[in-house]
Amino acid sequence: MSLQNIMENWSNYRRGAEEGGHHKYEHRWGMAINLDLCIGCNACSTACYAENNLAVVGKSRFAKGQAMHWLRVERYWDESQNKSSSVTPDYPEEGASFLPMMCQQCNSATCEPVCPVAATYHTPDGLNAQVYNRCIGSRYCSNNCPYRNRYFNFFSYYESSWPEPLNLQLNPDLTVRDKGVMEKCTFCVQRIRAAKDKAKMADRKVQDGEFTTACAQACPTGAIVFGDRLDETSKVAKLWQQHEVKLGVYKQHKQNPEKRGYRIFEELNVDPSVMYLERVRDTGI
Amino acid sequence: MIEKDIDEQIKWAKINADVLRSMENPRRAYWITFFICIAMMACAVTAEIYQYNTGMGVTNLNNPHMWDMYIASFVFWIGMSHSGTLLSAILHIIHADWRKPIYRFAEAMTTFSLMTAGFFPMIHLGRVWNLYWVLPYVSDRGAWPNFRSPLVWDAFAISTYLSASMLFLFIGMIPDLAICRDNARGWRRKLYTVLSLGWIGSDRQWRNFRKTYLLMACFLIPLAVSVHSIVSSDFAMSIMPGWHVTSFPPYFVAGALYSGCAAIITLFVMLRYYFRFEEYMTVAIMEKTAKLTFAIAMVWTYLNLIEFASTWYGHDIYAKELLIAKAVGPYSWIFWTMLFCGMVVPFALAVEKFRRHMPTMFVVSLLLNLSMYFERWMIVAPTLSMSHDPHQWDIMWPSIVQWAIVFGSFGWFGLLFLVFVKVFPSVSMYEVKEMVFHRRRLINEDAAKVYSRRARDRKDATGEPELEGA
Amino acid sequence: MSGKLNRREFLKALGVSGAAGATLAGCDLPSTITLEEGKEEVVSYFMPEEYVVPGVGVWYASTCTQCTAGCGIHGRVREGRILKVEGNPDAPVNAGKTCQMGQAGVQGHYNPDRITSPMMRDGGGLVAISWDKAEAMLTEKLAGASGDRIAWVTGTVSGHQRVMIENFMEATGAKHHYVHEVVNNRVWESVCQDMLGDANARLRIDKADVVLSLGADFMGASSSPVLYARQYAEFRRGKRGTLIQVEGKMTMTGGSADLWVPIRPGTEGALALGLANYLLRKGDVDGSVVSAELRKRIDEFTVERAAEITGVSGDRIQRIGKVLRDRRPSLVIPGAAVQGQEFGYQATAAIMALNILLGNVGKTIEPGFDVPLKQLQAKTGGTGDLVRFAENVKNKQLDVVLFYGANPVYTAPIALGFRDFLGSVPFKVALSTFPDETVMQADLVLPVASAMEDWGTHMAVNSGEQPVLGVQQPLMEKLYADTRGFGDILLGMLKQKKPDTYGQYADFYAYLSNALVAMKDSSVSVQTTPKAFWEEALQNGQVGVKAPVKKFAVKTFDVQIPDHQADAEFPLALMPTARMGLFDGRHANLPWLQESPDQIAKVVWDSWAELHPITAAKYGIKEGDLIRIESANGAITTTAYLFKGMHQEAIAVPLGQGHSDYGRYARGRGVNPLTLLDARVDAKTGELAMYATRVKIVRTDETKDIVRLGASDVQMGRGFVRTVSVDTLRRTEGA
Repeated sequence: MSLQNIMENWSNYRRGAEEGGHHKYEHRWGMAINLDLCIGCNACSTACYAENNLAVVGKSRFAKGQAMHWLRVERYWDESQNKSSSVTPDYPEEGASFLPMMCQQCNSATCEPVCPVAATYHTPDGLNAQVYNRCIGSRYCSNNCPYRNRYFNFFSYYESSWPEPLNLQLNPDLTVRDKGVMEKCTFCVQRIRAAKDKAKMADRKVQDGEFTTACAQACPTGAIVFGDRLDETSKVAKLWQQHEVKLGVYKQHKQNPEKRGYRIFEELNVDPSVMYLERVRDTGI
Repeated sequence: MIEKDIDEQIKWAKINADVLRSMENPRRAYWITFFICIAMMACAVTAEIYQYNTGMGVTNLNNPHMWDMYIASFVFWIGMSHSGTLLSAILHIIHADWRKPIYRFAEAMTTFSLMTAGFFPMIHLGRVWNLYWVLPYVSDRGAWPNFRSPLVWDAFAISTYLSASMLFLFIGMIPDLAICRDNARGWRRKLYTVLSLGWIGSDRQWRNFRKTYLLMACFLIPLAVSVHSIVSSDFAMSIMPGWHVTSFPPYFVAGALYSGCAAIITLFVMLRYYFRFEEYMTVAIMEKTAKLTFAIAMVWTYLNLIEFASTWYGHDIYAKELLIAKAVGPYSWIFWTMLFCGMVVPFALAVEKFRRHMPTMFVVSLLLNLSMYFERWMIVAPTLSMSHDPHQWDIMWPSIVQWAIVFGSFGWFGLLFLVFVKVFPSVSMYEVKEMVFHRRRLINEDAAKVYSRRARDRKDATGEPELEGA
Repeated sequence: MSGKLNRREFLKALGVSGAAGATLAGCDLPSTITLEEGKEEVVSYFMPEEYVVPGVGVWYASTCTQCTAGCGIHGRVREGRILKVEGNPDAPVNAGKTCQMGQAGVQGHYNPDRITSPMMRDGGGLVAISWDKAEAMLTEKLAGASGDRIAWVTGTVSGHQRVMIENFMEATGAKHHYVHEVVNNRVWESVCQDMLGDANARLRIDKADVVLSLGADFMGASSSPVLYARQYAEFRRGKRGTLIQVEGKMTMTGGSADLWVPIRPGTEGALALGLANYLLRKGDVDGSVVSAELRKRIDEFTVERAAEITGVSGDRIQRIGKVLRDRRPSLVIPGAAVQGQEFGYQATAAIMALNILLGNVGKTIEPGFDVPLKQLQAKTGGTGDLVRFAENVKNKQLDVVLFYGANPVYTAPIALGFRDFLGSVPFKVALSTFPDETVMQADLVLPVASAMEDWGTHMAVNSGEQPVLGVQQPLMEKLYADTRGFGDILLGMLKQKKPDTYGQYADFYAYLSNALVAMKDSSVSVQTTPKAFWEEALQNGQVGVKAPVKKFAVKTFDVQIPDHQADAEFPLALMPTARMGLFDGRHANLPWLQESPDQIAKVVWDSWAELHPITAAKYGIKEGDLIRIESANGAITTTAYLFKGMHQEAIAVPLGQGHSDYGRYARGRGVNPLTLLDARVDAKTGELAMYATRVKIVRTDETKDIVRLGASDVQMGRGFVRTVSVDTLRRTEGA
């Protein structure tokens, strides 16, 4: 086997079978987030706290950057490129730019190869999984995440986050993490799991819309769409197709380059599973 | 005139006596230093217990800053460990015999700094009790470490390097331990009897010893280069701006040798002063060490500059942004101190007057090591502060817990070293004799011949020649 | 439910009918399960009930009470614990969606600082007493007071909560019911009543092509955030409508605007008239739809004059006017800053007049529903009632006051003088779940079960396209045995007063099921038997109400908008803005919402004051400086936050913090800007002019770091959020 062969085969390990790779994906969970519909209301973020037993860290720890919000809504004041003037205006006339940012479930995730104990790995669902029990807390994965979407349990947050009887709210479908463990958005893997089990019991495939993530379910404007990208009839697959965004590339070659879909940090070749749709502004007023 | 590295007229019994004297009767200064080290250790232990019980958050680490001083210290100590290898292995195989009076403590430094460095990955782990998971032990669940992770490579590299360098240190000490054995009483005698492995200085033993020593030296050199290359890949294998740099392996190795040499100078001055080793750790040897350090400093400077240049002319806008931020951002004072101490201060080593002045050399060597520590910190922290996502940018200063542990690591290192100098000969007696012997031969070829023949003829060699001052 | 746990009651608490049949609004289980009768002992999960499958969640429908919008929810219950709330997809208000306040409802239920037993004032503090004693005390005090000296102070109430309060008032002869909400639409409702003939006119953002929002944070702290956010999504999706937001402080909704324009706070009415003037002058609108006096008034407000009053450039007004002229239908919405002025009614009427001129009435403003059961409709709150209540307290005209769902001790401005005189009310009863500031002043505290343990019904003010009566059912057993449902407390009192009428009901559950079944004919349900109807109501979490749409009777009249007057002593307008999350302060005890960053400022766990950088520079204020904000009535000190989304003559302090009580998460955190407000009211409606207070600021020498999410306000060219023009969108997606 020549060196070239080895190199080729190696990269095939992270490609799906449909792309000529070795990976037989059952599902490829993905998202499409329409930034034109995102109003930055934080419903998604709070829903995530409720679903995923996220710890409330309090003011001083939040100030230190030790908060645990798996899904954060970033807010920027950049004016769009439509403005020709280079002078910073006195007022944010185009409003804010909101960006719900959660783990992008990269298909060639930078966090995965660096974990010394393989606590983070790629599932046959195309998810970037984090095994809490296996994690030893080297935190390398978080350092290597360009999105900075991995959150570390710097303390035993459970000791103060859920005073009795708030602890009764904890979702028994997933654990409460103790100190020293990395965690991040899982695309609500417990819901995926439940839906898959249910489908298996009924001997059918998981249907689009049968379940969704907590953030997508809460989102009042429906900006977040979640689904299986391998299911061509799913809403998310249609959106990806409509906006000509493909997985497995570091640069999209679109028939129509004006289509709104894009992936953040695609050029780093991390192959994220979240597609964003560009924000729209009516600038002709 | 060319100054002598060592006075070739020095009597062998005096060598023994001087070195053995250094191992006995610790003076007050020794005990004061010893207890200072214990106190520093106690700081670290307290901090570590607190951190262990409370969580990593007490270090001020946060979302972008998952690593900080622990990793910088880790790299620093690993770097320091390269000095011993450089002096004993590299200089050994290139026959630079001026190394002989100073290589022993340098080698000890290698081992001890590795032992110190090894603590940091453990201290920094969120769940240190699961540390062994990075090793490929046989698990009934078939769980293996992730061989793609540089941290696993680290675990292998460091443990290999540590065991090899300890072995190397030990092997090199066997003839000296035999001398110790012959001069010791009580527990020391028992200890040295065991450790000297029945060394009687027979010809066969010397031949085997020489071969083993050379073999170990050859084995250690690539190991030393690889270990710091692997440490550099903790950073270089990531995709972070300022870390994802191809030149990191040589840069790290150069930095390691640099800091190692600087540390040798520091300890050189200290041992010379404490143990009155002026006759062995001579100014001439210091001069040579300083020249070597200067050369390495220039290599490091060059690698530093090309790293800047390649970032500047490269396409990675994030890396370029980071470089500018390093130079003008909140960490800039560290950046410029590092560059000044690392690139400008070594020019003091180019001046003969400074090279010969021990207090100056002491200060210079500390400055160089300060620069090296800053260098490691500047690699770790700013990248995490200012990487791809500006939303998550953050400036973080380490908490007292980090400071205490890093501070304590110096105490731990010092403690090991202090114990070492009282238990083991910190100057290699047999090699100094060898050196003296060779120097004499250079002066008086004929006398040397007599010497060598007579030395060979002796059957009951204890490493101490019979004839004195011939 | 005290002492031994009774299985039947336990089932009831779970929302299952106590009789033989039970219906679960479940997704995970078959919908009907027959339960075995006759077992009365507690059965552990070792042998669980048939419908309790350990590890499998069951979904129960209910109604959210986190704000007054009345969203339908599904609560996920597992092993007898409510774990999470999701939107009820069938609910016309929220159609399966929730806002963050709704999500955090469970934290109210499980709040560690709930009141767990009745308490009475003894000396300085509150001491726990038994229900018997509490009831006896209340009965005694009520008997001793004449009806016109008994008052209820509540938040917005509807459905059978309202019915119970009114029954109670009737039984005791109580005359006063003050309905107080800080976030309210009272002025708009009056304007709708006066100009359209229907107070409950419904906004249809989804039908508009252009929305001009004058300070209306309709997707944030509004009367129905999820409904309007859903409408907004439709508005953006279809033909991609344009949102123009004109306001003194950028609200969350303003953050999504295509064009955000700062305006001198309180001058929005002048802008509306200026726009009307522009439109009439251009001749694109029919001026005959408004009265002659109003036309005359509009003619006075030239664009130039409007520009002078509002501080919005004439060019900008004309451009906005042009968009309104070219694109129909549109919708102009007044926000709290418009309504909360001394001439708030006039300004709101001017905005309504603009809507009438643009022909929006009937298109994007639709008439409400003529709900047959008037007593179930929402009794919407405002601040006018707070003013009137404070007046009565001051004049010592009340002997017994019952508080429920309102916290006037926290929300009343100091200038109302209310705090000082409340002590003079002889007997204050607080029916509350949490120890808020009003509870701390009360003489008797009755612990109300949380919204997730209680029965009730709610009727949304605006429920979109179908009026419904939302059914609130317990999602789990009571956490604290000594708490009681609101309906149960009132029913208990009613039973004493009128045993003939109410004696037949064992509890409020019995009353409610009876009452609900009685309204079957007014519902859209096709169920024939009462039992099936009741079960359907529980399963759906709501009852659709048959109601015809009303008709508008448009009437216009002259409006009077004063010119802008600068105030030398108090140069800045104070904007006490409610925000999605902590809302008017009622959610400050929910840790999720405290830790959830403000949508615009991204600050957590604290208060701050928003200032435009230019204004701040004038005072030499840097971000993080502590500033003293002084009004004629007092001062607060908080951290300055420099923010360009502010008018330069305004300062905004968000509501929600500054609690002196209300549990561990709320107490002693930040400041409450409501305390600073002047006691000025809107001349017409009597509502408190919440945005009319003017303040001055003084820099202190101290600084305090603002804790917030995110280090950078700009993307540094990363292209995280990319923006395209609407033209590109139309080209590619054919919108």
